[in-house]
Amino acid sequence: MATTTASLTLTSTDLFDDSLSLSNTSTLYKAGTTIGLDQTTGLTRTYVTATTQFDPFPVVKGTTNADENGRVYIANLSEEITEYIIVTIGDLVIGRLYAGDFMWMPWSPKAQHVNDLEITPSVATGMHVEFMAIHNFANIYPNSADS
Amino acid sequence: MATTIATISLASSDLTSSALAFSSTNPLNTAGTATGLSLTSGLSRTNFTDDPIHQKLIFRGDDATANGANKIYMKNLSTTPAEFFTVYINSEEMGRLYAGDWAFFPWSAANGTKRVFTVTVAATWAIGDTWEFDGVKTYADSATVGSIANQIHAANYPNWVTTHTADAATVVFEDRVSGLGGTTVVVTADGTLNTAGNGTANISSAAVSVENVGDVYVKPSVATTIDLEHMLFHQ
Repeated sequence: MATTTASLTLTSTDLFDDSLSLSNTSTLYKAGTTIGLDQTTGLTRTYVTATTQFDPFPVVKGTTNADENGRVYIANLSEEITEYIIVTIGDLVIGRLYAGDFMWMPWSPKAQHVNDLEITPSVATGMHVEFMAIHNFANIYPNSADS
Repeated sequence: MATTIATISLASSDLTSSALAFSSTNPLNTAGTATGLSLTSGLSRTNFTDDPIHQKLIFRGDDATANGANKIYMKNLSTTPAEFFTVYINSEEMGRLYAGDWAFFPWSAANGTKRVFTVTVAATWAIGDTWEFDGVKTYADSATVGSIANQIHAANYPNWVTTHTADAATVVFEDRVSGLGGTTVVVTADGTLNTAGNGTANISSAAVSVENVGDVYVKPSVATTIDLEHMLFHQ
């Protein structure tokens, strides 16, 4: 088993009258256990040059992961403040990551095409996107064909 | 404008053969600008003890600007490894937050639409006539339709807000929140009219609502006490 920790800090001195200083660290365990997640797609950095939706973590046909629980990191590395990526799950938009924004969320890929995560860049002029899954899923691959 | 900084760090010495030590920091800005997000729900803690287990609505599409650079933070405060919250956007399951897990993700805040209708006070009313809607009964203190419309507008409705031009005969009603009204058209029969004469309060221009597809729900895995911490940064 591996030990991986994820930490988040949120700080502001002027969002409230009082300052905000929130800090969290969690260890990434397999669902319902204290056994560490032991697979990762690795940190992928890709340069996208089309506004075509793509699937960063394709799930292989016939695979089910209904009760598994991985974590997903996605970041928009663009430095153009108006450029964004739309992150969707299944048929619904989660939200937009603007230049420099990142996200970290749990993800339970039930089966191929059921609740796939997808990314759609806002521009075709070239944008770096970074993503990684840490998981114990059966059969997901980064950057492979999603058919 | 406010300056709020988010930093994520991922670390592992044994997940891969080379150590993982990764960090990213970014200010939370409004969409397409370098202006900081200045609105927040505040840091909230919600307790779940429902038996049977129910979902709870954490953030409604109306709570933020649609397609803004909104961000949601959530954390499962449980210390029991098997306990989790399932996080949904509308009906789509995102994943499970197990004990101690946190999430930080953008939010489209895709909201729906509100029901709207117009009620027109007309014909002959008498002092003491009543019109009741949404549990609120208005007693006419005048026989003048414009005055009665003023009274209807002045009332406080649990589920509706009104707009009205003083002394006009019409009052426009709109849902307080979008998406809750379903697809049922509001009709004249939904108001209860009691008049000594031939007064009317007809409803027209009715519109149905459209569901909020961006609402964020969570559902706990257990009916025993379990707490969720959550915060919305939005524009």
